[in-house]
Amino acid sequence: MIGVSRESIIKALSTRNLIIIITVAFGILPVLLGFNRYYVYLATQVVIFTSMVLAWNIIGGYAGQLDLAAAAYMGLGGAITGLLLCYYHLTPWIGMIVGALAAVGLAVAIGYPTFRYGLREVWYALSTISLVLILQRIYWLIYGTTEEYISEYIPYRWSVLYLRFDRYEPYYYLGVAILLVTLWVNITIRRSKLGYYLRAISEDEDAAEALGIDVRRYKLYALMIYAAIVGLVGGLYITTTGIITYRLFDPDYSLSVAVAGIIGGLGSIPGALIAGVILKTVEEYLRATFGAVILGLHLMIYGILLVAVSVSKPEGLAAIFTYIEKKLLKKGSG
Amino acid sequence: MDPLLKVVKVTKRFGGIVAVNKMDMDVYEGEIVGLIGPNGAGKTTLFNCITGFYKPNEGKVYFKGEDITGLPPHVICMKGIARTWQKVKPFVKMTALEAVTVGALLKYKDISKAEEVAREMLEFIGLKKINVPGRELTLIEHKFVDLARALATKPTLLLTDEVAAGLRPFEIERLIDVIKRIRDDLKITLVVVEHVMRFVMKISDRIIVMHQGSKIAEGTPEEVANDPKVIEAYLGIKAI
Amino acid sequence: MLGLIDVNIHLLIQNIVNGVLLGLVYALIALGLSLMFGVMGIINFAHGDFLMIAMYFSYVLALALGIEGVLTSFITVPLFVVIGVAWFYTLINRVLKADPLIQIAMTVGILMFLRNIALAIWKAEPRGLPYSALLKSITIGGITISLSRLIIAIISLAVFFALHLFLTRTKLGIAIRATAEDTETAALMGINVKLIYALTTGLSLGLVALAAALILTFTRVDPMIGTVYGLISWCIVAMAGLGTIKGIIFSGLIIGLVEALGMSLISPGARELFIYLTFILILWVRPRGLFGVR
Repeated sequence: MIGVSRESIIKALSTRNLIIIITVAFGILPVLLGFNRYYVYLATQVVIFTSMVLAWNIIGGYAGQLDLAAAAYMGLGGAITGLLLCYYHLTPWIGMIVGALAAVGLAVAIGYPTFRYGLREVWYALSTISLVLILQRIYWLIYGTTEEYISEYIPYRWSVLYLRFDRYEPYYYLGVAILLVTLWVNITIRRSKLGYYLRAISEDEDAAEALGIDVRRYKLYALMIYAAIVGLVGGLYITTTGIITYRLFDPDYSLSVAVAGIIGGLGSIPGALIAGVILKTVEEYLRATFGAVILGLHLMIYGILLVAVSVSKPEGLAAIFTYIEKKLLKKGSG
Repeated sequence: MDPLLKVVKVTKRFGGIVAVNKMDMDVYEGEIVGLIGPNGAGKTTLFNCITGFYKPNEGKVYFKGEDITGLPPHVICMKGIARTWQKVKPFVKMTALEAVTVGALLKYKDISKAEEVAREMLEFIGLKKINVPGRELTLIEHKFVDLARALATKPTLLLTDEVAAGLRPFEIERLIDVIKRIRDDLKITLVVVEHVMRFVMKISDRIIVMHQGSKIAEGTPEEVANDPKVIEAYLGIKAI
Repeated sequence: MLGLIDVNIHLLIQNIVNGVLLGLVYALIALGLSLMFGVMGIINFAHGDFLMIAMYFSYVLALALGIEGVLTSFITVPLFVVIGVAWFYTLINRVLKADPLIQIAMTVGILMFLRNIALAIWKAEPRGLPYSALLKSITIGGITISLSRLIIAIISLAVFFALHLFLTRTKLGIAIRATAEDTETAALMGINVKLIYALTTGLSLGLVALAAALILTFTRVDPMIGTVYGLISWCIVAMAGLGTIKGIIFSGLIIGLVEALGMSLISPGARELFIYLTFILILWVRPRGLFGVR
């Protein structure tokens, strides 16, 4: 009797079913939130952030590179999408693709020499920090501190073409769509040659080389996929906030993405998903409640969490899943 | 018959130190060649020069007649040379099955096919615990995974670096059996860099002795064991 | 025409002098980082933010006690040595053997905490000491030198020399070098490696506190400056390699000169961009160190 029910639990938790559950959960969320404008906006930001964490999982979790440049790719994608929309009235549907391509281009331009010169660990992380700051400075040099408001250029209140809506639900569902795609990309990679190779690279680069893996090339692939997704999401982000400034290139945002990825557990898809959702939700709550009084409280807490996780449970949230998996499998075969 | 692997006057310097000095070596298909020498003789450096982890300052390395000197390690692996590691480089988060699948993916693009090949290799080596994460394996199990990983890339030539180090006598017996089957059943040529005499003398068809970066003796295990130059190199005193 | 050339050479020398003074200070800031990384292999991303916090400490003390900024070091340096030792035993000790990514993660967590607690307490506006006896300039041969920067550069040189003596002539210093060189052998020879590590961390943060007290004389502090100083320090460590104080000094001088010369050639807005681009180039071209012994 007990064996049967454990087996059926395992079967129920199959990947396909989990994805269906997740889709449904995200799908009905706005209903649960009572279509409250503010909450749906928050949910949109959570979904956007979580997509980036899942994308980061590819370079940070699978390939094991501490990339802190998410804000660079997101900012680039967002800035391009936004500026093309404002100055050329180019629909963001195309603008986002252009932004994603630009992010990939940047990834190759930065990644190729970085990997070619064998920058690892701390040196890689430092170069990514520099990247965000460089892009921020370049934007600032071109546009200064001016803030471009999309609403000034695109006066429509409801336009599918220009992605202008006076409610947040459309943005939310678009975000969910991207999240599901990112989830799908993650799962596909994990079970592919790329996934195996990346995990080998993150374990031991020399051993990977000796097994015929072109380490530089595969790291670059991971970086390009991650940059493309983040750039695309950046485009969506800009349509939700409607403001284009140099503050798009926010190093703290990069850090938050990486922190979520680490706390979720490097390489763990469910971990990344849950960490992204929880951390961003908590952050927005803290910002709303204490934001005026204690600036950066959520970041302080992120910092403490990160220290706690790295010191005591480096596997992050993934440890919980491994534990559950073990418990289920153990009794089933015993 | 042309040698499978031909090392011609390879020299490798680190700053002022000459680790490998005009080293020559021929390895013919189907043999097991033992490469021995006292500490600091340059065996591992030569090893790394052949497998692409170091670029030789001088000299050439030919494999199946092709010049592979200075090529990157992954290209050399693609050409058919596989290696194991002196300081075992295990994949601690991946299971043995996953680790060996990584190796198999070189020649088999499809994941299920690669996994099948991985299972075959692990069965050939004789490792049972293939589904636990690497961090739960013992030293000899790691060495077996290391071997299986390398074998999964379907090499023509396998170089092992001190694979017998740290093993107990019964484990060494098991290793000898595995190495012999690699040569006989899988038809792979082997170069075994070793320190453990009992092991290398038993399995080698031919032995090459290195000392201070160059070859000082070559021959069958018996010939080499009785060679006064070799005895002097190891003991530092002249044999009577 | 000759007058024009004269002015340009003048400007050049002025920039070189500024660059040297700046570089020595950068080297002093990077010194602590080099010690921690060299001796323990620990990757401390929070280095710049410890500097920032130390500057705030000095700022508060200087105002509260009504003393010269530099003098606060008598309090902050021992304080930060203790903080360093405590930090080692509570946190660093537990990630010594972990994946470098996890080590970095731990220091990033500290970085985020320090930065945002500073933001919460002191808000975002830069704070500076309102008065310093040292804020004068002297002019030699047409070159203007800020007195404070000159004195601090001299103090930096004195610190380098003192540290050099410490590491080469004292038992503890030699023990530290031995541990950096070969941890296993050092342990076998009876050196208490954990204690050495703790003291190294303490020394590292002590040096940071000293540098902080010094630069507060001519610079203001805000919660975000940790990034720039951290990056500068890591670049100096990247260029210098491990194992030599001289390497740190030379690398610091190079960075200082690059910044001083860059400042004059390019508009102030582009100055930071120039610095960050230089960072990446340095990381690409020479990640293993120009001067290092190891």
